[in-house]
Amino acid sequence: MDISSLIGSLHPLEIKVLLALRDARSRGPMKEQQLEQTAALEPSQLSMAVEWLLAKSLLSVASQKTTPVVSLTKIGAQYFEKYAPIERILSTVRKAGQTGKRLTIQDIQSQEGLEPTEVSGAVGCLKKEGAIRIVAGGHVESTGGPSPTAEAIRELLKQLHGTPRDLQAFPEPMRRVIEQHAVKRGNANEPFRIDDHVERTFALTPDGLGAADALVQQGVADEVSQLSPELLKDGSWRTKRFRKYTISLRAPRIASGKRHPYREFLDRVKTKLVSMGFQEMRGSLIETEFWNMDALYMPQFHPARDIHDVYFVKEPTHVSEIAEPFFSRVAAAHRNGGNTGSTGWGYDFNEERARRLVLRSQGTAVSARTLAAGPQTPGKYFSIARCFRYDQVDATHATDFFQVEGIVLGRDINFRTLLGLLELFAREVAQAKEIKFLPAYFPFTEPSVELHVQHPRLGWMELGGAGLFRPEVTLPLGVDVPVIAWGLGLDRMAMVALGIHDIRELFTGDLDMIRTTRGKF
Amino acid sequence: MPTISINLKDFSQLLGQGTVTAERVESWLPLVKGELKDHDDATGELRIELQDSNRPDLWSCEGIARQIRTALAGKAAAYPFFKPKRPTKRLMVSPGLEPIRPFVAACTAVGYRVTGEGLAQLIQMQDKLADIFGRKRRTVSIGLYRLPDIVFPVTYTLVKPNEARFTPLGFDEPMSLGEILSVHPKGVEYGPIVAGHDRVPLLRDAEGQVLSLPPVINSREIGEVRIGDAELFVEVTGTDLRMVILTLNILAANLADRGATIEPIEVVYPSATALGKTVRTPLDFSQARPIPVKTIEAALGQSFGATSIARALTAYGYRVKPSRETVIVKLPPYRNDLMHAVDVVEDVAISRGYGEFTPIMPSQFTVGGLSRVEQVSDRIRDLMIGLGFQEIISNILASRQDLCDRMRLGGTSWSRLVEVDNAMSQSYSCLRQWIAPSLLRVESASTRVFYPHRVFEVGEIAVPDPADAQGARTVTALGGLIAHAGANFSEIHSCLDLLLFYLDYPYTLEPVAHPSFLEGRAGRVLSGGRPVGLIGELHPEVLELWQVGMPCVIFELEVDPLAERG
Repeated sequence: MDISSLIGSLHPLEIKVLLALRDARSRGPMKEQQLEQTAALEPSQLSMAVEWLLAKSLLSVASQKTTPVVSLTKIGAQYFEKYAPIERILSTVRKAGQTGKRLTIQDIQSQEGLEPTEVSGAVGCLKKEGAIRIVAGGHVESTGGPSPTAEAIRELLKQLHGTPRDLQAFPEPMRRVIEQHAVKRGNANEPFRIDDHVERTFALTPDGLGAADALVQQGVADEVSQLSPELLKDGSWRTKRFRKYTISLRAPRIASGKRHPYREFLDRVKTKLVSMGFQEMRGSLIETEFWNMDALYMPQFHPARDIHDVYFVKEPTHVSEIAEPFFSRVAAAHRNGGNTGSTGWGYDFNEERARRLVLRSQGTAVSARTLAAGPQTPGKYFSIARCFRYDQVDATHATDFFQVEGIVLGRDINFRTLLGLLELFAREVAQAKEIKFLPAYFPFTEPSVELHVQHPRLGWMELGGAGLFRPEVTLPLGVDVPVIAWGLGLDRMAMVALGIHDIRELFTGDLDMIRTTRGKF
Repeated sequence: MPTISINLKDFSQLLGQGTVTAERVESWLPLVKGELKDHDDATGELRIELQDSNRPDLWSCEGIARQIRTALAGKAAAYPFFKPKRPTKRLMVSPGLEPIRPFVAACTAVGYRVTGEGLAQLIQMQDKLADIFGRKRRTVSIGLYRLPDIVFPVTYTLVKPNEARFTPLGFDEPMSLGEILSVHPKGVEYGPIVAGHDRVPLLRDAEGQVLSLPPVINSREIGEVRIGDAELFVEVTGTDLRMVILTLNILAANLADRGATIEPIEVVYPSATALGKTVRTPLDFSQARPIPVKTIEAALGQSFGATSIARALTAYGYRVKPSRETVIVKLPPYRNDLMHAVDVVEDVAISRGYGEFTPIMPSQFTVGGLSRVEQVSDRIRDLMIGLGFQEIISNILASRQDLCDRMRLGGTSWSRLVEVDNAMSQSYSCLRQWIAPSLLRVESASTRVFYPHRVFEVGEIAVPDPADAQGARTVTALGGLIAHAGANFSEIHSCLDLLLFYLDYPYTLEPVAHPSFLEGRAGRVLSGGRPVGLIGELHPEVLELWQVGMPCVIFELEVDPLAERG
């Protein structure tokens, strides 16, 4: 490129840097900070201009020095406020020692609300240092001895709070603690971060000096960067020179409005279901145990109805009544089969329990309501229902999630049409070529089937469960045709489509992640 | 449902087909609704999850092997001990147990020398049956004892907690029953099942030796089965007679499968039970049930005829008498899960194999469609996206702190929430009553993400309403938020205005004093005189509480009234 077209394409920021370096060339290469001052630029402007000039070989790095600098991560900042797991565990164990309470590792974990990995790492370290010991019965006891690591971490959290420091400024034992607890690949949950702080000095290359000289000779007076309405109005654009852009630079970032990536996935499923002739059903977030479980012939002693599986509403605890004739018929079905031709579960059905309010724990509750509301025959229904389960939230368990479920009613419904429907789902929803049907168990269906599919990218996976509703479910709700109940387990497919590995990220609060995730459907 | 461990070598011996591979076992698992969770080639251990909570007979190595053996042989093995024969041993039940734990069943098993693997299976089976089928020992619990130490008749009786002492498993010294209930870990765990009466159940023999304190703990002297024992006494106690006997039937069949000879015991009750005053256990109490062939064929969508159906059911362990139009079926004595003909239907399908059925497509025509609320929600999403808003999706469960305190609503009439009684963590203990906190959760987590931020969510909320039978209404709502250095009322107002223009939804704003907003910069959205939303600049204290360093303006709108307009 000749020198005039070269300087014609320079950005005003680049020009400032070139001229500043030319003015100070007698003093040798300049540090970034000096350049900021002499060229009167913001740090961000300077770093842009420097990168552009380096790319054009008008500037060279004269020297470069790398210093490792330690700072606190977000977790480190939390630890500073609320103490690190190792400190919390040590203090809990010491406190327990004083009160005579006996704690297992699990107790500590649940009491402190820590992750298993946090606990095992910290307990291992404390044991090694002799600050605690594990005695018979898996109980953890304080030895009364100190934990150098816990103390070092506290000291480091204090020193680093708000001020990053040179790693080399710390003595060797502290450095070792920092390195053990610094963020690394595969372990992001650490309090410290070591970043290489790079200090560079810059000098003009011969080309750069030539360009700067030419700029000084020619002057930059009549150049404009932006065409304006004024220039157009008076025609003065004809006398101006327009600065040339380096169009190969990265585009500045913008944000647009768009659907949430998980929504895009769910919308695709929704569209598929509608195209297969399914009508959408909606329901209430709060349900009675009756509609959530009794109407589905789940016996009141069923393990999944335990206090440890379902969320109960605090206030009001019960509804005053449940619509008849459903209430009596369902109760009879549980007690002795009622008019369903069944023996029933043969236990003492508790009417009070049926009126208990819970957070909907399964989408099938919506189907039960639909059955009772006089659905069409033939009819196909689906819902994408938010459900709630009493579960410890972790990478694979959510407490609040979507279930895709539905029903199909018709005189032609039987075991083979059930398999046919599942085959259709496998093809339409999962693009599966190969499928397998396995016997399954659900309290409300018989026969019951699990659908396994060979997903193009995931291999064999369970796509859903289904079955024919038991007569103990349909007859009390006033439906006398066979009904398929089906549910699809789509979370794993969604997670792969969105490239995430933690179910919590489906509802992430990180706007950057939401903005930049592209679903691969 | 239970996941159990079995050993491949042990399983192969029980199956009697020579050594089988894990892959082979897996191919049979559909017969028992089992799923192979993992297997260790080095130890030969397989972990299998059994799905069917009504089939406790399958929750053991013996049970799985038995179901597969039945399929391979085409019929179930006979268990002669279910045939009536006068037992030589008796178990006497004292009066007064009715309100506590009335039923017991027992037998002896002789001639099988307990191996290490056999003992592991016995313990596992005892645990799974008592824990899951027996509802944590409430309805059923099991005890195994060394038979030679016991002098018959055994008595199932009631005593005061200070009237008897024995050395429980896990301890070295004799303790009173009261001490066991208050000190022994099992006493603490299971004692409450029999608490609340002045006496507790006890099993002891003719010489007064204690066998156990059911359902809590066995005696260390008699009630600890060890490798090498070849004579066992087995008992089951509980609150449901049929469940108690079924459990004993399963245990007896399992021990018989391992080579033991089962001798029934006569249980003598003080008064008549549903099965009489004296009950000989194990006992086959299955009832014959006629099932129309038509019913089975209609449900399965295929005609096989009575003979094929009978063959399939026999190969699944049933006792069957086919005629032209009906099959009369009886479950094997170790099962009691036939409530309705559909249960038999499924067993026919499983026995034949699901792969044997050709899928056919449901052929009847139906019209698909979305609910009105969903249609309107989709329309709103499109419009919001056109206005440059990024959609978010949030948990509906949140904390009171987020929903009220951080919104400055604590102690006000806006702080009514649907709360969970048994929350596992405070973070997920209340249903959100509006969308705004969900939007702020995103803002709070995204302070380093480049601005401007425009985010929205259309989702469900639970609005407390004392007039509603359930105490709250599920409402679909829209929330929108703008955050950047110059965000103000007029910018968010323009968005709401344009949105409602396109939705053809006339509205007015009236000033509102709402603690979440800056005074004088907040409005209530009214449509047809009815409040349907809020709009305004969030109060700086709200932003501080969420650690958001940018001005934020929001609006919130109920979607249901839009859908109801038709």
